[in-house]
Amino acid sequence: MSTTPADVERTVVDFLKRLEKLPEGFDATTPLYADGVGLDSLETAELSALLEDELGSDPFSTGDLPQSLAEIQAYYAGV
Amino acid sequence: MVTDAATCTYAELVRRAEQLAETLTAGEVRFAILSAEADVVVPALAAASLAGAEACVFPPEDGVAPGSQEEIDELLARFGQTHVVTAGGLAPWPPASGAPSPAGAGTSLPDDGRVAPRPHLVLTTGTTGRPRGVRHDWSRLVRATERVRPGAEERWLLAYGLHQFAGLQVLLHVFAAGATLVAPTPRRPKEGLAAMRRHGVTHVSATPTYWRFVMAELRGDGGPVPALRQITLGGEAAPGPVLDQLRATFPGAALSHVYAASEFGATNSTKDGLPGLPADVLTRGEDADVAMRVVDGELWVRSRIGMLGYHGEEPVEVDGWRATGDLVEQVGDRLLFRGRVSEIINVGGVKVHPLPIEEAVAAVPGVQVSRVFGRPNAMTGSIVAVEVVPAPGADPDEVKAAVRAACAELPAAARPRSIKVVAEVSMAGGKIVRRSQ
Repeated sequence: MSTTPADVERTVVDFLKRLEKLPEGFDATTPLYADGVGLDSLETAELSALLEDELGSDPFSTGDLPQSLAEIQAYYAGV
Repeated sequence: MVTDAATCTYAELVRRAEQLAETLTAGEVRFAILSAEADVVVPALAAASLAGAEACVFPPEDGVAPGSQEEIDELLARFGQTHVVTAGGLAPWPPASGAPSPAGAGTSLPDDGRVAPRPHLVLTTGTTGRPRGVRHDWSRLVRATERVRPGAEERWLLAYGLHQFAGLQVLLHVFAAGATLVAPTPRRPKEGLAAMRRHGVTHVSATPTYWRFVMAELRGDGGPVPALRQITLGGEAAPGPVLDQLRATFPGAALSHVYAASEFGATNSTKDGLPGLPADVLTRGEDADVAMRVVDGELWVRSRIGMLGYHGEEPVEVDGWRATGDLVEQVGDRLLFRGRVSEIINVGGVKVHPLPIEEAVAAVPGVQVSRVFGRPNAMTGSIVAVEVVPAPGADPDEVKAAVRAACAELPAAARPRSIKVVAEVSMAGGKIVRRSQ
């Protein structure tokens, strides 16, 4: 079963809500780090593990550092 | 000795041991014991000690039976045993070899029952690779029992396998006390609890993990709580929450924990029921059989009751110091265990010890058992991962949220970044496996 963009969005948004880091106006192009969502390295590592658990693989393990939800969704579109 | 099948008196054990020992004197016999049944293993061990023949109890694969023939053959070839002992008795190995026949009697046993050396081989659990053979001598092992007080009325549960060093310690203690050994098979918590109730067990020595499961069984079945007088913990660090739960569950029992390992023997029995070791273990002096010191946060031991060496290697240095692999921190007058060197989790360059995290998780309501370990991660090298076995009826999502809340005040690198609810956690030798995966 393929991973849809909606599956990815739900996983990421639920994660950010749990961290209480879902900014107002968050969308697929919002930067995940620094002035965007502001994920630190450990939170990014946690998201990486969560994506692997929930969706079977994760884009961070390829050596890339996705900058936004859209880039994460693009990874799963190509899997 | 009480097993599932029968009760055996000391006189009967001695008779069977002497009978087998007469055979073992017919040449240089080294044998493997391929059984988990105490009524097979115990007379064979006693016979080996009497005759000066080296025995080794092979680890049962599932707590009941030995592993596959292929695994047994590999161990026999590696450790060079000439015979095997099963419920059917002693037999040469391989069967067609020229090893002495077990049917023929050898030379007589010494009148005083003492031979030297009296070797024994214990296999490590092999959690970090193939098991190694740890060479002991019964004469050194029994020195640890010299201060055991008579206790004919004591009824000890055998919760460890006799292939384990801890199982041998229990056996020697029981013999030294003249007590009764209750030995169910397999030696899992469920069968152990049943044996405690059925046979009126008064004393139990087991790992903290074993005790967690015993208490879970008690909560689950609602049956009577055994009237234990002595609870001993060993094999792993004894976390404070487990000690608290044991005190509440068994109010009539004295609590102690033993710090021991196959390599250096039993070093200490702490009877105050507090976590860790009293710091005065570091000032025992040169005359002590076992001395300890801390080097770069790791506990080192010098033992005169420990192993002679590893099978196939040079003997260890007499009075030499050995690193234990246990990380400790002195807090006041206690040495508290922080985990194993091999269990340290490197989170982005920060070294994280799993035990304090596991203690925090274990104290969360709804958590039956937990395991903390390092999980590889592309971002930080590793992250702290937790597996949780929920208590019966506990909601998995609520348990995960409670675990996160319980760990919220830990340093950022130590906070679990992966929490999974599982049916069981990875174990080896009755201990939780915490090495990074």
